[in-house]
Amino acid sequence: MMSCRIYIKVQEAPFDLAVVNRGMTEGRTDIGAVVTFSGLVRDFNEKPDVQGLTLEHYPGMTEQALQQIAEEASERWSLQAVSVIHRVGHLTPGDPIVLVAVASAHRQAAFDSCAFIMDFLKTRAPFWKKENTREGDYWVSARTSDEDAAQRWHKG
Amino acid sequence: MNQPTSATDTSNLHPEGFTHIDAKGEASMVDVTEKAVTAREAVAEAYVEMQPETLRMIISGEHKKGDVLAVARIAGIQAAKKTSDLIPLCHPLMLTKVKVELIPEPSQNRIRIETLCKLAGQTGVEMEALTAASVAALTLYDMCKAVDKTMVVSGIKVLEKKGGKSGHWQLPSDSHQDAESSTHSDAPSTQKKDGYLSLRFFAGLRESLNCEHMELALIALDTSLGEDTSLGEVKAHLISIHPEWESALSASNVLMSVNQQMAKATTTVQAGDEVAFFPPVTGG
Repeated sequence: MMSCRIYIKVQEAPFDLAVVNRGMTEGRTDIGAVVTFSGLVRDFNEKPDVQGLTLEHYPGMTEQALQQIAEEASERWSLQAVSVIHRVGHLTPGDPIVLVAVASAHRQAAFDSCAFIMDFLKTRAPFWKKENTREGDYWVSARTSDEDAAQRWHKG
Repeated sequence: MNQPTSATDTSNLHPEGFTHIDAKGEASMVDVTEKAVTAREAVAEAYVEMQPETLRMIISGEHKKGDVLAVARIAGIQAAKKTSDLIPLCHPLMLTKVKVELIPEPSQNRIRIETLCKLAGQTGVEMEALTAASVAALTLYDMCKAVDKTMVVSGIKVLEKKGGKSGHWQLPSDSHQDAESSTHSDAPSTQKKDGYLSLRFFAGLRESLNCEHMELALIALDTSLGEDTSLGEVKAHLISIHPEWESALSASNVLMSVNQQMAKATTTVQAGDEVAFFPPVTGG
């Protein structure tokens, strides 16, 4: 089996899901399943009227953390390719913010590893969101539900 | 220290002489119409020496004029864009990148300014890089002159040039004013200094502390030497020199990393390490 191809990118620009999908599958016939997750900016979160948010990261460490998460996924499941793209800078509601795409021979590995990568991205990759509302800006607090979601992969 | 290097060595002089003086000895702007468009890049530096207390105020963000380093950085960027207005025979350029970094060097009581300018064009960008460094230095002086009038701007020079006829040029290492601390040609932004930790703060923690980056002398910690100092001890030391940081830094959810890998309070650090403190992550 071919080793897993990992693509990690932190960028301000929007991403094109179709391009990423094609990049992972073009010219290959051993991929049976591609699962993609796209995260979008919601207009409600800790406050009901989120007008936008600013994403900060730790250049260098963020990319390394995403790479490690993708590598862990590729050790845990049999994967052909993993792409993780995360945006930084100023975003407004409806904007795509994160893309995780996983290609595998079979659907279960693709579904599970995509969820695994998102769960660890949310708890281990150094990104921070600051939300803008009419009443002012605030740093988003971490949710224990995200930590619980990541913890479930340690069981069994 | 900080003596300008002697000008008696002529090995770095251009063989064709001054290009801004024509055959009659008059000043003229060089005709670059026929020169090839290539990617150009220049790196320059400058130093502002000051009293230790002035530097401490800047780093801790206590200065009443606000974030001195941020203002000086913007001043440098603006200045690069104005270079052709200031230097008579300099061509106006369409800069594609200007970067200004201000790196406090507490061990030397100074701030090092490093600038980078880029474009695709027919003429070099070292004047833009030098202007950015100079004006960033002058802005530091302007913002701090009320507390320290003895500040000295020094060592303004080009470190590196890329593109054009002369290709890649780097300042010979013996021309540096301070050879033992000049590792910047390899890694401008992650300069490693003997005996120092580079500390970074992110997101809400950076805002609470009003500090993005600082260098911490390991020998200042109470432990005997830098080898076995733990992150917990680093944090305790920070709180001892900045009591106002206690509530933000000692919060139980503050995360830490060493050389961009997650770390714990028991993780030991060594001189040259990059240590970061930040709140729980909230990406995705």
